[in-house]
Amino acid sequence: MNRTSDILGLPKGTDTLLRDLVHDRTGMFFDSTKMDMLTDKLSPLVVKRGFNSFLDYYYFLKYDEQSGPEWASVINAISVGETYFWREIDQVRALTQTILPHWLSSHPGETFRIWSAACASGEEPLTIAMALDEAGWFERASIEIHASDASSAALEKAAKGLYRERSFRSLSTERRAKYFFQDGPSTWRVQPALHSRVQYSLANLMNAGEIAGLASAEVIFCRNVFIYFSETAISRVVRYFSKFMPTPAYLFVGSSESLMRITAHFALEDIDNAFVYLKQPSAAGIDGVELQSGGLT
Amino acid sequence: MPEFVGVFTTDRDLVVQVWDSAIARFTGIDRSHASGCALVSLVPDLQTRGLLKYFRRVLDEGVVEVLAPAFHHYLIPCPPGTPSTRFDKMQQRVTIAPLAEDGRVAGILVTIEDVTRRLDDERALADRLEAGSPLDPNLLIKSLDDQNWRVREEAIGQITRRAAPDGIEALLRSVRHNHRNFGLLNSALKVLRLVHVDVHAALVEFLRDKDEDLRIQAALALGDQDEPRAIPALIEALNDSSPNVVYHAIEALGKLRATDAAEQLLAFAESRDFFLGFPALGALAEIGNAQIAARLYPLLDDPMLREPAIQTLSRIGDETVVERLSQILNCNQAPAQVVAEALASIYDRFEEKHGEGEYISELCARSIRPEGIQRIVDALCEAAAASLRPLILVVGWVKSAAASRAAARYLGSPQVQDAVVDALVQHGHPIVDLLVEQLESEDLEVRGSAIAALGRIGDKRATRALARLLGRDEELAIPILGALSSIGDPAAVDSMFPLMATPDAAVRRAVVSALSTLASPAMLDRVIPLLDHDNPGVREAAVRICGYFGYPQCVDPVFRRSSDEDENVRRAAIEHLPFLDDPRTLDVLANALRRDVPSVRAAAAAAMGRLNSSQSIPYLLEALEDSDPWVRYFTARSLNCHGASEAASSLHRVADSDRFQQVRIAALEALSKIDAQQAASVARTLVTSEDSDLRQAAEDILMNRNGKV
Repeated sequence: MNRTSDILGLPKGTDTLLRDLVHDRTGMFFDSTKMDMLTDKLSPLVVKRGFNSFLDYYYFLKYDEQSGPEWASVINAISVGETYFWREIDQVRALTQTILPHWLSSHPGETFRIWSAACASGEEPLTIAMALDEAGWFERASIEIHASDASSAALEKAAKGLYRERSFRSLSTERRAKYFFQDGPSTWRVQPALHSRVQYSLANLMNAGEIAGLASAEVIFCRNVFIYFSETAISRVVRYFSKFMPTPAYLFVGSSESLMRITAHFALEDIDNAFVYLKQPSAAGIDGVELQSGGLT
Repeated sequence: MPEFVGVFTTDRDLVVQVWDSAIARFTGIDRSHASGCALVSLVPDLQTRGLLKYFRRVLDEGVVEVLAPAFHHYLIPCPPGTPSTRFDKMQQRVTIAPLAEDGRVAGILVTIEDVTRRLDDERALADRLEAGSPLDPNLLIKSLDDQNWRVREEAIGQITRRAAPDGIEALLRSVRHNHRNFGLLNSALKVLRLVHVDVHAALVEFLRDKDEDLRIQAALALGDQDEPRAIPALIEALNDSSPNVVYHAIEALGKLRATDAAEQLLAFAESRDFFLGFPALGALAEIGNAQIAARLYPLLDDPMLREPAIQTLSRIGDETVVERLSQILNCNQAPAQVVAEALASIYDRFEEKHGEGEYISELCARSIRPEGIQRIVDALCEAAAASLRPLILVVGWVKSAAASRAAARYLGSPQVQDAVVDALVQHGHPIVDLLVEQLESEDLEVRGSAIAALGRIGDKRATRALARLLGRDEELAIPILGALSSIGDPAAVDSMFPLMATPDAAVRRAVVSALSTLASPAMLDRVIPLLDHDNPGVREAAVRICGYFGYPQCVDPVFRRSSDEDENVRRAAIEHLPFLDDPRTLDVLANALRRDVPSVRAAAAAAMGRLNSSQSIPYLLEALEDSDPWVRYFTARSLNCHGASEAASSLHRVADSDRFQQVRIAALEALSKIDAQQAASVARTLVTSEDSDLRQAAEDILMNRNGKV
């Protein structure tokens, strides 16, 4: 008896309905090999809501007038919080060493905005803040770091700023000592000065209204998110990005993620050995659908 | 023979690079004049006619655009190649394709086909169709672009068997003229495939050309055509004097899965010529003939060809190659990762096709000696995350302490967590202590995987450690309870009781499930007093356990809890009453259905569906009017269970007009069980509903496939 749904005595069925609904609302897609994972993550919520089947819970999520707050629980349950400091650091270096100075040279005195679009428990925006601090940028320029996630539970952790050993697997002990202090036998707390550099908020990437303000940043880090999204959902989110981002603007995605087949609104560039998607000037205001493979016109 | 297709290319700035003779002839613009000119200067109205955007799109997005003559008529204005009664300008079918270079769009290739005569013929065909005259088969080929759907429909069924349009030969000549521009050739072929043109004969001709480059390109292209007719010519090309042509012919034969070429390909592999042996092995892998596997064994001793030979064996081999592949691991310098990937590939294939992966793992385990295991373990320690899975799979087959420890290092790695658990479960009882050690890990993922593995191994030695963890690991309480249930050791019971008081309903449910699994009469004696516990969570869990067993001593206490002050306790009691087989049940449920809070009313409605008696139906009919949608929903479901014919009209009304879709769906499904005709009549009005679930339910009923409950 290993599956949570079995342990809780929930019968199988209606998996695909629930999967498609979750995909529609959150962008996260669970293929057939991951359906058990989805039902396992949702099982406790089904029971807590007093239901005895996934079908009833599906109807609750879809039709009940009280389902709004429940979606926050769903997102908390299915979100993947696996991340760590100094992850895929080449992209952050490209930001601090090339993109930022280049941008400032043409926008002197303006505020440079960075958005970590799926910050989980805060490791990514804090990594960006550390790199900017090390490069001395906070003294030389006005920089805002915004971070958001669809999971309120992840944001609560980010707000606490308390991290375990696993989050430090790629961070040098020197940096850990500089930016964190030990706060428990195996936990470290981020220094308030660094913590205050990041402004956190709750935002679902699939909701244009929630991300419009955040996406007006010059740089968006949206890494290791799209691996959980369907192509349709990625396309939608990238379209929002291109709509709201200024020009020029830069989008970083994870090393295993590619937008090449998804969008023409961004062009892939290699900056300091890091891949970055550069918003194309013609993309501003485009609201069309990508993924076209040609057509009879 | 007139050339009907012309080709020109441009760079990214739409400056003409290639302007072929056909284009020059029918536009009257010389090559010397066109080359180096901006397209917009050659076709000044490109933008005003709205055509420039298609060129931009090809450049920006790498897509192929086709300008249909029906809409755009022409790209470059010029007279028709042959006189036309209907058109004063040549009608052009224009295909604009990207020219790729290093994965980027470096320019475009445009083909312009003079379709004036075809359109003339199509109009004639359309006129004949309209007049009801029999079809002229000679006109079919020319009818694809016709706007008249009847013309297209008549033509489409036969077009694939017809020869290529007249202009193909001219296009290929143009390609040949520019053949050193490989991008041009590939793009041109892509365009041809797009318009379903048969290029086979021309490519075979190129394969025999004097020019080596053209032969290479022809071989490459033939491999991409998915056309078995190319195989004899490609086999013939294996004797080409140029090794480069042979190389590409080999690759093409692989792509075409040319079984007839297997012997010649084997000969290349056996020649130990790396340049040709390597692609030959690749081609043999594509062809996939298991019977030649043994012929490849000698190559496993060749340091140059060993790895491609292993990979080929993994693709073509069946169980007979497993022993030989496994033995490689026992040798010095064994490429452990490559071998593991090969074994995993065969395992996966057997598992998927026959459900017999275990047979492969057994064969493998028998052949790998301790030094082979050590090589796998060493490779596992150095592997990148993406390469871990095959190594872990093999580790699972070879049971050794070192292998177990190596695999356990990855218990917390999300990419391979499940594979590691599977592997360690195969190691079974000897690794219980190792897994128990992992329960102390700081990493939640590691602890979670260890718990899952211990539960599946089912060794009672893990009970104490799991029970201890249960009290202090809230996040993993549910999996721990699941594992303890699987182990089935009654000694775990004591550790579970305190969790009945947890505020987390899901954990309480898991406790109920685990205690029910491990229950004994003695344990029930401990549970019954808990029905009066101060903590409502404890009372609720106790009700569920007692209700589950339904022993006589449980009946009265559970009934008492149906009037508990706590709503969750009452609901749990109500849910279980139907299983107690007691004459008081109907009255208690009816009372709850009428007077309790919505969640308990809903539970009572659902519980009534589990009663054998139809006496509950009047109460359910009344409850269809309840103010709470969930009460109405479960009521409809219960009426479905009873197949209550007297509920038909009420269900009809609810299905027709309830404010909540889930209620309508449940009512519609119930109605379909009671009165199929009436349900169909409602369903017909709902198949156009904007709500996808309601629409689906209606369609299911109309298609007689309503089994979703």
